[in-house]
Formats: sequence, structure tokens, C-alpha cells
Amino acid sequence: MQLQLKNFTKRFGDLTVIENLDLTVNSGEMIALLGPSGCGKSTTLFAICGIHRMDEGELLFGDREVSDLPSQKRNVGVVFQNYALYPHMSVFENIAFPLTIKKQSASDIERQVNEIAELVYIGELLKRRPAELSGGQQQRVALARALVRKPDFLLLDEPLANLDAKLRLEMRSEIRRIQQETGIAAILVTHDQVEAMSMCDRIALMDAGKIVQFDQPSVLYTDPANKFVASFLGNPPISFIDPIVDSGALMLPGGLSIAIPENISAQSKVQLGIRPESFGPQFGTGLPGKVCFVEMQGREELFDVLLADGSLVRSIQPAGSGINVGAQIDWGVAADNVLMFDQNGARL
Amino acid sequence: MKRINWLGLGLLAPAFCIVIFFFLAPVILTGFFAFTNMSTSTGVTGGEYVLNQTGLRAIEDKGLPEATLKQLKNAGYRVDAKGLAAMAEQFGENAAAEFAELHGDALFTSRRDMERALKDLRANQIRSTRDRKAAAELFKRSVLNERFATEDEFRAVLIEANINPADHDAIVMQAYSGWVWTKENIELIFTLPSSLRYAMNTLMYVGLTLSFNVLFGLFLAISIFYLPPRTSAIFSTIWFLPRVLPPVLYVLMWKWFTWDTGFIATTLSWVGVAPKNWMLDTSTHAWVVIVLINGFVGASLGMILFSSAIKAIPTSMLHASEVDGASRIQQARYIILPQLRWPILFVTSYQTLSLLTSFEYILLSTDGGPGRATEVWSLAAFHTALNNYGGNLQYGLGAAFAMLLVIIGIIASLTYLRFFNFREMIAKPRIEG
Ligand SMILES: Nc1ncnc2c1ncn2[C@@H]1O[C@H](COP(=O)(O)OP(=O)(O)OP(=O)(O)O)[C@@H](O)[C@H]1O
Ligand SMILES: [Mg+2]
Repeated sequence: MQLQLKNFTKRFGDLTVIENLDLTVNSGEMIALLGPSGCGKSTTLFAICGIHRMDEGELLFGDREVSDLPSQKRNVGVVFQNYALYPHMSVFENIAFPLTIKKQSASDIERQVNEIAELVYIGELLKRRPAELSGGQQQRVALARALVRKPDFLLLDEPLANLDAKLRLEMRSEIRRIQQETGIAAILVTHDQVEAMSMCDRIALMDAGKIVQFDQPSVLYTDPANKFVASFLGNPPISFIDPIVDSGALMLPGGLSIAIPENISAQSKVQLGIRPESFGPQFGTGLPGKVCFVEMQGREELFDVLLADGSLVRSIQPAGSGINVGAQIDWGVAADNVLMFDQNGARL
Repeated sequence: MKRINWLGLGLLAPAFCIVIFFFLAPVILTGFFAFTNMSTSTGVTGGEYVLNQTGLRAIEDKGLPEATLKQLKNAGYRVDAKGLAAMAEQFGENAAAEFAELHGDALFTSRRDMERALKDLRANQIRSTRDRKAAAELFKRSVLNERFATEDEFRAVLIEANINPADHDAIVMQAYSGWVWTKENIELIFTLPSSLRYAMNTLMYVGLTLSFNVLFGLFLAISIFYLPPRTSAIFSTIWFLPRVLPPVLYVLMWKWFTWDTGFIATTLSWVGVAPKNWMLDTSTHAWVVIVLINGFVGASLGMILFSSAIKAIPTSMLHASEVDGASRIQQARYIILPQLRWPILFVTSYQTLSLLTSFEYILLSTDGGPGRATEVWSLAAFHTALNNYGGNLQYGLGAAFAMLLVIIGIIASLTYLRFFNFREMIAKPRIEG
């Protein structure tokens, strides 16, 4: 089933948190709502499941207009950040709750709960109370509760934020597996770009209540719409330098010049975005500087290089280069992968 | 060897004193009074020995032999120095002297004999019958209605009156007007039909008021939770008023509300209902009023406790139940109520204990009326011991009433403590996240 959010606006009192937001989720697809804290991800999610009223706009589940329906009638499954399990009920009762509410027969409930419990691998935990479960197990129970009523959409609000690094990795693939097995369209709210990129078919990158770019993760990475997208995605993050525009070429500090592509009209001021993997000795020379910081990351080393004009460029290299802090280097840039932005941050 | 921490003990001393004076002493005193027959007539200090008509009747009931009774009842007359002195004063020295000569030290068992003896006077005749009667009275020497300061004096008189020594003890015991130790109070309570009635009244009072408190408190708390914040603040303040109002004022308002010239009566008179006292008209009226008066006071406590417990439920849990499809009522039933289990238990047990012993609102409103329809146990204790129309305050009996209540209260609180099993309650994480 397809989900369409059109012209969605949300205000809290005088504060407009979301303005005219459009979002489409295709059936079977998993998308991420990614963005910095406070940009309105949860608000959007809560509007979709009906916890928040929409001030303007419409919400379609398939052809059905649901903006005026209370959350009870929307048939969406939600996994909350803190799981929101009911502490006084057993795991079984927690998962069965949406069905109990609908007054289904006991045998039906039992069958469906067992089915879903198998799917999320918690078959042997059904008799326990939520307090007797680990974080990852609680997460699975919450997922099972959201899925048991065969919702039209699955909404996940930062489902991995409370887990430790290893569990997070494990649950990332688990959630994706379960989503793909059930084929339910899902929206994942997260502020973790790795999570969004590894789990989702498409990412809607949000900033200050607007969707800045909505596309496949690789497109967002290689072809960002603006400076915000470029800087939000990528770890370690992209570096920006301000070259001098000189007769159809960009002059970088240290003498390297990059030709301005023909389809771009020359501007007085342009910003260059260089990803860490596009700067290094393998790309020749031309951008000299001083190494001011080295971070060992296991297989790789991360260098912060201070250029002549005082700007900082990051580089990531295979470990074992033997370069230390204070070393003078002269590395090159992969000119094809350099991203150009105008002074407003829009992509050129 | 452990060193005693004197500073610690010193700091604790005030607490000890408070516990002893204010907590233990009343209980101990109640127990002590309960086994005495103290009342207004005995006083709380020692007493004197006097046998009056009432006392006489009481020992008659206890099976004192007929002969002894007769002896006690029939006034004896003795021509003794005391009588003669009185006679000299009223009828002249001569008459007294003559009478002493005639009948000195004589004993008469009946008034007729005494009067006949007085007729024997020749030189100083007492002519009128009335005067003779008065004169006879001067020689009346009886155990009845005479006050004796000590037991020995009283016993001496009994011997003098020739009363069978076997009966002395019973008579002395009856004549003693001070308090004595007795188990009769407890026995009395268990045999009086009225104590059963007080017990039933108490059950009804506690049961009805408690249900009202808890159910209404729950209703208020849940409805306040669903109201917008400003409205709910006003709402809860209003419901808190009965609690902060002085009881006398609060009950006065109820009286004004229910008097036969009060609000209800006046309003209903416009539609032709004859005015009546809506509080005391029938016992049903009285009960309804009492449950409401106490119920509104207690409901605010429940409301506050339940409200804060509801607020402690994480919002995401309520959101979760909404997207899970639960309606408001189902949400209250399946999510909110189960998480109020402890507050509900707490309010129930706490209110049971305080309702068992509280009677101030009943005292101020119906005072146990109409008749004894709303007389609860604690009020009966108060009436018996401290405020009764007969005028004879029976401290001992009242204390016995109170003591039984204390025992029930202690048993109930121990049961509740066990039931609550506080340690387990603390160990149990109520809310995750
Ligand atoms: N109930 C509310 N009343 C007023 N303002 C609110 C309310 N809920 C959210 N906001 C505001 O709306 C904005 C968006 O909040 P939202 O919770 O959607 O952020 P988010 O993107 O989910 O952030 P995070 O990653 O920190 O969860 C924030 O500026 C927040 O302060
Ligand atoms: Mg959020």
C-alpha cells in the first residue's frame, strides 16, 4: 500500500514545526526520516499514526483519506523509542494487546501471537514480564506488538537508540529482514545516517521541518542537493574550502586549480566540498598542508590537514602510512568527485 | 563491646518521648480504663461508702437474702445521745431528758413503735402528730443514705444494725461509690443488642464511604487526566475544597443545604414537595448524607494519589495503546487501572483505618441520629464516655468500646502491612525506561 503525505503542516501554538511537507512511501518500501535533532521527524511520524493532529494537509493510505481518523482506526504499527511495553502484562499479553482490544477469539490470538513471536525470535520469552527482558528482547517484543495486527504501515521512532553498539548492528539487519519478510511499508525515524543508509531503500533527509532531499542513499551521498545534505551524510564528514574563482578555474590554496565545468556559470564565490576519500597521495599532488591530527580507526587512519589559507581538509587512508602529526604533506584531490556549491549552499 | 552512641540516643530522645506520650500512652490508658467501671458517679479517684435505693435494688437483683434486705430497708430507730441532742434542740431540754429517762438506748424496728414511744412523754408531751413524726425522724438510724468515709466505719454500722455478717461483703461492694476493676464492660458490650447495631453501622459506614472514596476518586483522577490542563486544574481544586475546609464549616454548609428551611427543601417546595429535613428525615437520608459528606472529603485524597500515579505513566505507553486500537475506556481499563493497583490498595487500607476511628463528620452532622441509625462504633464510644444525655458519663464502658476498636485497627493494619509486603513493592520496578 502506498502512503502519501501532502502539504503537511504542524504547529505547536505559534511555533510552526513542519511546513508544507510532502512524502510518498511506496508499498513494500522502507524509507528513513533522517535529520538532526529537533527537525521534526517524530512530529511527522506521530502525525502519520494519528497521535498528533495535522494542522493542514492530507494523508492518504492507498486511496483512503485518513487525516481525520483517530489513531485507533488507522491500522499502523508503531515501535516507540523506549518501546512503551506495558509493564503489568506478560510478553504474550503485550503482543496480543492489539488483538485483545479487537475482541478476537482466544485461539486466533494465540495462533497469531505465536506466529509473530517466531518471526522475531522470541518464542520462548512469552511468559516473562517486560522488566525481565534485555533491551534487544524488549525491542523485538515491541516490533512483534506493532506487527501482530498486520498493519498497513510500520512506523519506527529511533528504534535502535537505546541499544548498545553490537546489538544495534544486529537489530539493524533484523528489522530489515522482518520488514522484507512481511512486506509492510515502513518508515524509520533516525538521526543516525549509517542506520538510514544501511536499512532503507530511500532516505528523506529533513532539516528544520522540511525534506531537503528524498532519494536512494547512494544518490544522496554522491549527488547531494545542497551543502546541508553533503555535510550531513558521510562519516568522517566532508570538508569545505573556499577557492578563488579565476578565469574559469578554481584556484585552491597551494596552487592546484580545478576547471569549472562548462554547464556551470562562473560565480564570484564558490565552495568546494571534498570528501575524505577524495583527498590523498593517490590523487597526485597540488594541495599541500600540515597534518594537525591523526586518528587511528583500525583498518584506516584519519588525517586532519591544515591548508595554507587556514582551512581544514580531512583524508582517510589505509592504516600504516607512518605519517605523524606535524608532517608536511602535499597530496592531490580527485577532481571528478569534488562537489561545488554556491554561496547559499545550493549545489552547482 | 559496642560503644553506646550517646549523641544518637540524645537526638532520638524527643522521638521516643513523642511515641510514648502520644502514641502509646493513649492506647495503654484506654486499655486501663476499659477494665474499670469509672463513670461520673464513681469519679476517677477513690470514693466513699453509701447505700442508696438504687444500690439496694441492685443487690436485691444479685440475690441478697430477703431478711437482710428487710433489715436494710426498714429504718431502725435508736434513742441515742445524738438523737437526744437533736431533740433537745427542737423540742427543749426537758423533753429530751424525759425521753432519755423513758426510753434511753431503746431500739425500735418500725416507725409506729418509735412514734408510740414518743407518746409516752407526759411532762413534755408532743401533741401534734406532725411534730411527733418529725421527732421520730431524729432517731432514725439506718444504713441507707448515710455516707461513710471508710470501709471500717461502714462495716461497723452494718454490725451495729445486726445484719448477717455473711452478706456484709456484698453490701460493702455495692455501697462503694468509687471505681473498681471489672470485666463487666467487655461482657456488657458483647451482650448488648445495641453494640451489634453499632458494629453493623460501622461496617456500613466504612464500606459505603470507602467504595465512594475509591470509585469517585478514580473517576475524578481519570476524568481530570483527560481534561485540558487548565480545566483540570480548576476541577481538581474544587474537589479539594472539602478537604481543606474546616469540618465544622463544611458540615454547617451541608446542614444549611438539607435543613427543612434549607436549600433542597426550599427549592423542592417550588415544585410542591413538602419541606422536610433532608438529613434526618429517615435513616436512609441520614446514611446518604453521611456517605456523601465523608465521601467527598476522602475522594480528594484518592484523586490526588491516583492523579499523580496516572501522570507517572509514560505518555508513550498511552500513545502505544492508542495506536494499538484502544479506545479511551479500554485505555483506562487495560493500561491506567492496572498501573494504579498500588495506589488503590494504599487508599483502601489507609481509608479503612481512618474511617474506622473517625466520627467527627457524623458527630457534627447527624450525631448518630435519627434515633441511633447512624451511630457508629467510635461515636458510641464517644457518646458513652464523654457526651451522653443521661448525664452519667461511663468512662469505663466508653474506653472498652474504644479498646475493641483499637484492637480491630491493629489487626487490620498488621494484615495490610502483610498484604502490601512493602519490601517486594519497593523491589518491583513499576515503570520501564
Ligand atoms: N508538544 C510539543 N509542544 C511544543 N513543541 C514541540 C512539541 N513536540 C515537539 N515540539 C517541537 O517541535 C520540533 C520538532 O520536534 P520532534 O520531536 O519532531 O523532533 P525530532 O526530529 O524527532 O528530534 P529528535 O531527534 O531529538 O527526536 C522541536 O523543535 C520541538 O521542540
Ligand atoms: Mg524524536
